[in-house]
Amino acid sequence: MNIPEDAKQKTESYLAKLRAQLRGFDNQQVAEIVAELRSHIMDKLAIPGDAVSAAQVDAALAALGSPEELASQYITDNLLARAEVSRSLLPLLDGLFRWASLSVAGFFVLVGSVMGYFLGMVFILVAVLKLFHPQTAGLWLLHDSTGDPELSFRMGFGSSPPGSRDLLGWWIVPLGLLAGCALVTLTTRFALWCTRQYRRSRALPRT
Amino acid sequence: MKSRHLADQETADKWEVQLRKGCLELAILATLWEGKRYGLEILRRLESDSDLIVSEGTVYPLLSRLKSLGLIGSEWVESDAGHPRKYYALTPAGKQRGCEMAGMWARFSSSMAKLLAPLVRGK
Repeated sequence: MNIPEDAKQKTESYLAKLRAQLRGFDNQQVAEIVAELRSHIMDKLAIPGDAVSAAQVDAALAALGSPEELASQYITDNLLARAEVSRSLLPLLDGLFRWASLSVAGFFVLVGSVMGYFLGMVFILVAVLKLFHPQTAGLWLLHDSTGDPELSFRMGFGSSPPGSRDLLGWWIVPLGLLAGCALVTLTTRFALWCTRQYRRSRALPRT
Repeated sequence: MKSRHLADQETADKWEVQLRKGCLELAILATLWEGKRYGLEILRRLESDSDLIVSEGTVYPLLSRLKSLGLIGSEWVESDAGHPRKYYALTPAGKQRGCEMAGMWARFSSSMAKLLAPLVRGK
Protein backbone atom coordinates (compact mmCIF):
# COMPACT_ATOMS: atom_id res chain seq x y z
CA MET A 1 0.00 0.00 0.00
CA ASN A 2 1.34 3.38 -1.01
CA ILE A 3 0.54 6.03 1.58
CA PRO A 4 1.76 9.56 0.84
CA GLU A 5 3.87 11.24 3.48
CA ASP A 6 1.31 13.98 4.17
CA ALA A 7 -1.40 11.36 4.71
CA LYS A 8 0.84 9.55 7.21
CA GLN A 9 1.50 12.83 8.98
CA LYS A 10 -2.23 13.58 9.13
CA THR A 11 -2.91 10.17 10.69
CA GLU A 12 -0.11 10.51 13.23
CA SER A 13 -1.21 14.05 14.10
CA TYR A 14 -4.75 12.76 14.74
CA LEU A 15 -3.44 9.93 16.91
CA ALA A 16 -1.13 12.29 18.82
CA LYS A 17 -4.07 14.57 19.64
CA LEU A 18 -6.11 11.58 20.77
CA ARG A 19 -3.20 10.29 22.89
CA ALA A 20 -2.95 13.69 24.64
CA GLN A 21 -6.68 13.62 25.50
CA LEU A 22 -6.80 10.07 26.86
CA ARG A 23 -6.40 11.02 30.51
CA GLY A 24 -7.10 8.43 33.14
CA PHE A 25 -5.70 5.51 31.15
CA ASP A 26 -2.29 4.08 31.93
CA ASN A 27 0.48 4.24 29.31
CA GLN A 28 -0.07 0.67 28.17
CA GLN A 29 -3.80 1.23 27.65
CA VAL A 30 -3.16 4.43 25.71
CA ALA A 31 -0.54 2.70 23.53
CA GLU A 32 -2.97 -0.14 22.83
CA ILE A 33 -5.87 2.19 21.93
CA VAL A 34 -3.65 4.20 19.59
CA ALA A 35 -2.18 1.05 17.99
CA GLU A 36 -5.65 -0.38 17.43
CA LEU A 37 -6.93 2.80 15.79
CA ARG A 38 -3.80 3.03 13.62
CA SER A 39 -4.44 -0.55 12.51
CA HIS A 40 -8.10 0.33 11.83
CA ILE A 41 -7.12 3.33 9.69
CA MET A 42 -4.63 1.19 7.72
CA ASP A 43 -7.39 -1.36 7.08
CA LYS A 44 -9.77 1.36 5.92
CA LEU A 45 -7.14 2.63 3.49
CA ALA A 46 -6.22 -0.81 2.17
CA ILE A 47 -7.46 -0.63 -1.42
CA PRO A 48 -5.43 -3.07 -3.55
CA GLY A 49 -3.42 -1.50 -6.34
CA ASP A 50 -4.46 2.05 -5.63
CA ALA A 51 -2.42 4.83 -4.11
CA VAL A 52 -4.12 6.35 -1.07
CA SER A 53 -5.42 9.86 -1.61
CA ALA A 54 -5.53 12.58 1.01
CA ALA A 55 -9.34 12.59 0.70
CA GLN A 56 -9.48 8.91 1.68
CA VAL A 57 -7.39 9.61 4.77
CA ASP A 58 -9.64 12.54 5.67
CA ALA A 59 -12.71 10.31 5.27
CA ALA A 60 -11.19 7.54 7.42
CA LEU A 61 -10.37 10.00 10.21
CA ALA A 62 -13.73 11.77 9.94
CA ALA A 63 -15.50 8.42 10.36
CA LEU A 64 -13.86 8.09 13.78
CA GLY A 65 -14.96 11.58 14.88
CA SER A 66 -12.71 14.31 16.20
CA PRO A 67 -9.92 13.25 18.62
CA GLU A 68 -11.73 15.14 21.42
CA GLU A 69 -15.04 13.36 20.73
CA LEU A 70 -13.39 9.98 20.48
CA ALA A 71 -11.39 10.53 23.69
CA SER A 72 -14.59 11.66 25.39
CA GLN A 73 -16.27 8.39 24.37
CA TYR A 74 -13.36 6.31 25.66
CA ILE A 75 -13.37 8.23 28.96
CA THR A 76 -17.14 7.93 29.55
CA ASP A 77 -17.14 4.23 28.61
CA ASN A 78 -14.21 3.69 30.96
CA LEU A 79 -16.06 5.61 33.68
CA LEU A 80 -19.15 3.40 33.27
CA ALA A 81 -17.05 0.22 33.35
CA ARG A 82 -15.23 1.35 36.51
CA ALA A 83 -18.50 2.33 38.18
CA GLU A 84 -19.94 -1.11 37.37
CA VAL A 85 -17.06 -3.02 38.96
CA SER A 86 -16.39 -0.68 41.90
CA ARG A 87 -18.70 1.03 44.41
CA SER A 88 -16.01 3.54 45.41
CA LEU A 89 -16.67 7.23 44.76
CA LEU A 90 -13.08 8.03 43.85
CA PRO A 91 -12.95 6.27 40.45
CA LEU A 92 -16.28 7.88 39.57
CA LEU A 93 -15.11 11.37 40.51
CA ASP A 94 -11.81 10.79 38.77
CA GLY A 95 -13.65 9.84 35.56
CA LEU A 96 -16.00 12.82 35.88
CA PHE A 97 -13.04 15.21 36.22
CA ARG A 98 -11.52 13.80 33.04
CA TRP A 99 -14.82 13.94 31.18
CA ALA A 100 -15.37 17.55 32.36
CA SER A 101 -12.04 18.56 30.87
CA LEU A 102 -13.29 17.48 27.43
CA SER A 103 -16.94 18.37 27.31
CA VAL A 104 -19.40 21.01 28.49
CA ALA A 105 -21.88 18.25 29.38
CA GLY A 106 -19.20 16.60 31.51
CA PHE A 107 -18.49 19.91 33.24
CA PHE A 108 -22.12 20.37 34.28
CA VAL A 109 -22.43 16.77 35.46
CA LEU A 110 -19.24 17.23 37.50
CA VAL A 111 -20.51 20.47 39.08
CA GLY A 112 -23.87 18.86 39.94
CA SER A 113 -22.17 15.76 41.34
CA VAL A 114 -19.66 17.70 43.44
CA MET A 115 -22.51 19.78 44.90
CA GLY A 116 -24.55 16.66 45.65
CA TYR A 117 -21.62 14.84 47.29
CA PHE A 118 -20.61 17.97 49.23
CA LEU A 119 -24.11 18.45 50.66
CA GLY A 120 -24.37 14.74 51.45
CA MET A 121 -21.03 14.80 53.25
CA VAL A 122 -22.06 17.93 55.23
CA PHE A 123 -25.22 16.14 56.45
CA ILE A 124 -23.17 13.12 57.53
CA LEU A 125 -20.43 15.22 59.14
CA VAL A 126 -22.88 17.33 61.14
CA ALA A 127 -24.69 14.18 62.30
CA VAL A 128 -21.41 12.68 63.53
CA LEU A 129 -20.15 15.93 65.12
CA LYS A 130 -23.42 16.30 67.03
CA LEU A 131 -22.25 13.38 69.17
CA PHE A 132 -19.12 15.30 70.17
CA HIS A 133 -20.61 18.84 70.33
CA PRO A 134 -24.19 18.26 71.45
CA GLN A 135 -24.81 21.90 72.42
CA THR A 136 -23.53 23.63 69.29
CA ALA A 137 -23.52 21.25 66.27
CA GLY A 138 -26.61 20.82 64.10
CA LEU A 139 -28.94 22.63 61.73
CA TRP A 140 -29.40 26.10 63.15
CA LEU A 141 -31.76 28.96 62.39
CA LEU A 142 -29.74 32.18 62.50
CA HIS A 143 -30.46 35.82 61.76
CA ASP A 144 -28.12 37.74 59.47
CA SER A 145 -27.08 41.39 59.95
CA THR A 146 -30.35 42.64 58.40
CA GLY A 147 -32.41 40.39 60.66
CA ASP A 148 -33.45 37.95 57.89
CA PRO A 149 -33.59 34.31 58.99
CA GLU A 150 -31.14 31.83 57.40
CA LEU A 151 -30.39 28.15 57.86
CA SER A 152 -26.86 27.07 58.71
CA PHE A 153 -25.13 23.76 59.27
CA ARG A 154 -22.90 24.24 62.32
CA MET A 155 -20.09 21.83 63.01
CA GLY A 156 -20.08 22.73 66.70
CA PHE A 157 -16.90 24.79 66.84
CA GLY A 158 -17.30 28.07 68.72
CA SER A 159 -20.35 29.26 70.59
CA SER A 160 -23.78 29.60 69.05
CA PRO A 161 -24.72 33.13 67.88
CA PRO A 162 -27.21 35.04 70.04
CA GLY A 163 -30.84 34.61 69.01
CA SER A 164 -30.13 31.42 67.07
CA ARG A 165 -31.96 28.14 67.50
CA ASP A 166 -31.04 24.48 66.96
CA LEU A 167 -33.89 23.29 64.73
CA LEU A 168 -33.55 19.51 64.92
CA GLY A 169 -31.72 18.79 68.18
CA TRP A 170 -30.73 15.12 68.42
CA TRP A 171 -32.88 14.32 65.38
CA ILE A 172 -30.01 15.63 63.24
CA VAL A 173 -28.15 12.36 63.97
CA PRO A 174 -30.55 9.88 62.31
CA LEU A 175 -31.96 12.41 59.84
CA GLY A 176 -28.50 13.71 58.86
CA LEU A 177 -27.11 10.22 58.32
CA LEU A 178 -30.19 9.22 56.33
CA ALA A 179 -30.25 12.39 54.21
CA GLY A 180 -26.46 12.28 53.69
CA CYS A 181 -26.42 8.64 52.54
CA ALA A 182 -29.48 9.26 50.33
CA LEU A 183 -27.82 12.30 48.72
CA VAL A 184 -24.57 10.42 48.04
CA THR A 185 -26.50 7.48 46.52
CA LEU A 186 -28.75 9.71 44.42
CA THR A 187 -25.80 11.78 43.22
CA THR A 188 -23.98 8.62 42.08
CA ARG A 189 -27.10 7.47 40.23
CA PHE A 190 -27.51 10.91 38.68
CA ALA A 191 -23.88 10.98 37.48
CA LEU A 192 -24.10 7.49 35.96
CA TRP A 193 -27.49 8.22 34.38
CA CYS A 194 -26.08 11.38 32.77
CA THR A 195 -23.03 9.46 31.56
CA ARG A 196 -25.21 6.76 29.97
CA GLN A 197 -27.46 9.36 28.35
CA TYR A 198 -24.40 11.13 26.97
CA ARG A 199 -22.98 7.89 25.61
CA ARG A 200 -26.29 7.01 23.98
CA SER A 201 -26.65 10.47 22.48
CA ARG A 202 -23.14 10.20 21.06
CA ALA A 203 -23.56 6.65 19.75
CA LEU A 204 -25.18 8.02 16.64
CA PRO A 205 -25.75 5.66 13.78
CA ARG A 206 -24.21 6.68 10.49
CA THR A 207 -26.85 7.87 8.07
CA MET B 1 -50.85 19.52 8.54
CA LYS B 2 -47.69 18.68 6.66
CA SER B 3 -45.47 19.99 9.49
CA ARG B 4 -47.42 17.84 11.97
CA HIS B 5 -46.71 14.82 9.79
CA LEU B 6 -43.01 15.71 9.69
CA ALA B 7 -42.90 16.12 13.49
CA ASP B 8 -44.54 12.69 13.94
CA GLN B 9 -42.04 11.17 11.54
CA GLU B 10 -39.17 12.79 13.44
CA THR B 11 -40.47 11.39 16.75
CA ALA B 12 -40.76 7.92 15.20
CA ASP B 13 -37.21 8.20 13.82
CA LYS B 14 -35.82 9.21 17.23
CA TRP B 15 -37.59 6.29 18.86
CA GLU B 16 -36.10 3.91 16.30
CA VAL B 17 -32.59 5.33 16.91
CA GLN B 18 -32.97 4.84 20.68
CA LEU B 19 -34.21 1.30 20.12
CA ARG B 20 -31.18 0.43 17.99
CA LYS B 21 -28.72 2.00 20.43
CA GLY B 22 -30.16 -0.02 23.27
CA CYS B 23 -29.21 -3.33 21.70
CA LEU B 24 -25.71 -2.42 20.47
CA GLU B 25 -23.94 -4.18 23.34
CA LEU B 26 -25.83 -7.41 22.71
CA ALA B 27 -25.22 -7.11 18.96
CA ILE B 28 -21.45 -6.80 19.51
CA LEU B 29 -21.40 -9.86 21.77
CA ALA B 30 -23.40 -11.71 19.09
CA THR B 31 -20.88 -10.85 16.35
CA LEU B 32 -18.21 -12.63 18.43
CA TRP B 33 -20.26 -15.76 19.09
CA GLU B 34 -18.77 -17.72 16.19
CA GLY B 35 -15.19 -16.73 16.87
CA LYS B 36 -12.69 -13.93 17.21
CA ARG B 37 -12.92 -10.80 15.08
CA TYR B 38 -11.12 -7.47 14.86
CA GLY B 39 -12.80 -4.06 15.11
CA LEU B 40 -13.47 -3.40 11.44
CA GLU B 41 -14.80 -6.95 10.97
CA ILE B 42 -17.22 -6.40 13.83
CA LEU B 43 -18.39 -3.15 12.25
CA ARG B 44 -18.88 -4.83 8.87
CA ARG B 45 -20.74 -7.74 10.43
CA LEU B 46 -23.07 -5.30 12.20
CA GLU B 47 -23.68 -3.55 8.88
CA SER B 48 -24.27 -6.70 6.87
CA ASP B 49 -26.28 -8.81 9.33
CA SER B 50 -28.30 -6.20 11.15
CA ASP B 51 -29.65 -2.73 10.61
CA LEU B 52 -27.21 -1.44 13.19
CA ILE B 53 -25.01 0.92 11.24
CA VAL B 54 -23.03 2.59 13.99
CA SER B 55 -20.18 5.04 13.84
CA GLU B 56 -16.67 3.67 14.16
CA GLY B 57 -15.96 6.07 17.01
CA THR B 58 -18.71 4.38 19.02
CA VAL B 59 -17.68 0.76 18.59
CA TYR B 60 -14.03 0.96 19.67
CA PRO B 61 -14.69 2.63 23.07
CA LEU B 62 -17.53 0.15 23.64
CA LEU B 63 -15.19 -2.76 22.90
CA SER B 64 -12.77 -1.26 25.43
CA ARG B 65 -15.58 -1.11 28.02
CA LEU B 66 -16.67 -4.71 27.36
CA LYS B 67 -13.06 -5.74 27.82
CA SER B 68 -12.80 -3.83 31.13
CA LEU B 69 -15.91 -5.67 32.28
CA GLY B 70 -14.27 -9.00 31.45
CA LEU B 71 -16.89 -9.91 28.83
CA ILE B 72 -14.39 -10.04 25.98
CA GLY B 73 -10.66 -10.60 25.74
CA SER B 74 -8.21 -9.45 23.08
CA GLU B 75 -4.98 -10.44 21.41
CA TRP B 76 -2.78 -8.93 18.71
CA VAL B 77 -2.36 -11.05 15.60
CA GLU B 78 -0.03 -10.37 12.66
CA SER B 79 -1.94 -10.07 9.38
CA ASP B 80 -1.21 -10.39 5.66
CA ALA B 81 -2.06 -6.70 5.33
CA GLY B 82 1.33 -5.86 6.82
CA HIS B 83 0.15 -4.58 10.19
CA PRO B 84 -1.06 -6.36 13.34
CA ARG B 85 -4.75 -6.41 14.20
CA LYS B 86 -6.39 -6.56 17.60
CA TYR B 87 -8.76 -9.52 17.70
CA TYR B 88 -11.57 -9.80 20.24
CA ALA B 89 -13.16 -12.98 21.56
CA LEU B 90 -15.86 -13.74 24.10
CA THR B 91 -14.72 -14.79 27.57
CA PRO B 92 -16.77 -17.39 29.49
CA ALA B 93 -18.43 -14.47 31.35
CA GLY B 94 -19.16 -12.80 28.00
CA LYS B 95 -20.74 -15.97 26.62
CA GLN B 96 -22.92 -16.24 29.72
CA ARG B 97 -23.94 -12.56 29.55
CA GLY B 98 -24.65 -12.89 25.82
CA CYS B 99 -26.89 -15.92 26.40
CA GLU B 100 -28.75 -14.16 29.21
CA MET B 101 -29.28 -11.03 27.12
CA ALA B 102 -30.34 -13.06 24.07
CA GLY B 103 -32.84 -14.99 26.24
CA MET B 104 -34.29 -11.74 27.59
CA TRP B 105 -34.45 -10.33 24.07
CA ALA B 106 -36.25 -13.45 22.74
CA ARG B 107 -38.82 -13.45 25.56
CA PHE B 108 -39.43 -9.72 25.25
CA SER B 109 -39.72 -9.69 21.46
CA SER B 110 -41.98 -12.77 21.50
CA SER B 111 -44.41 -11.19 23.97
CA MET B 112 -44.30 -7.86 22.11
CA ALA B 113 -44.94 -9.66 18.81
CA LYS B 114 -48.19 -11.06 20.23
CA LEU B 115 -49.24 -7.65 21.45
CA LEU B 116 -48.30 -5.92 18.23
CA ALA B 117 -49.77 -8.51 15.85
CA PRO B 118 -53.06 -6.60 15.29
CA LEU B 119 -51.13 -3.40 14.56
CA VAL B 120 -48.87 -5.16 12.08
CA ARG B 121 -51.88 -6.79 10.34
CA GLY B 122 -53.65 -3.45 10.18
CA LYS B 123 -50.75 -1.89 8.29
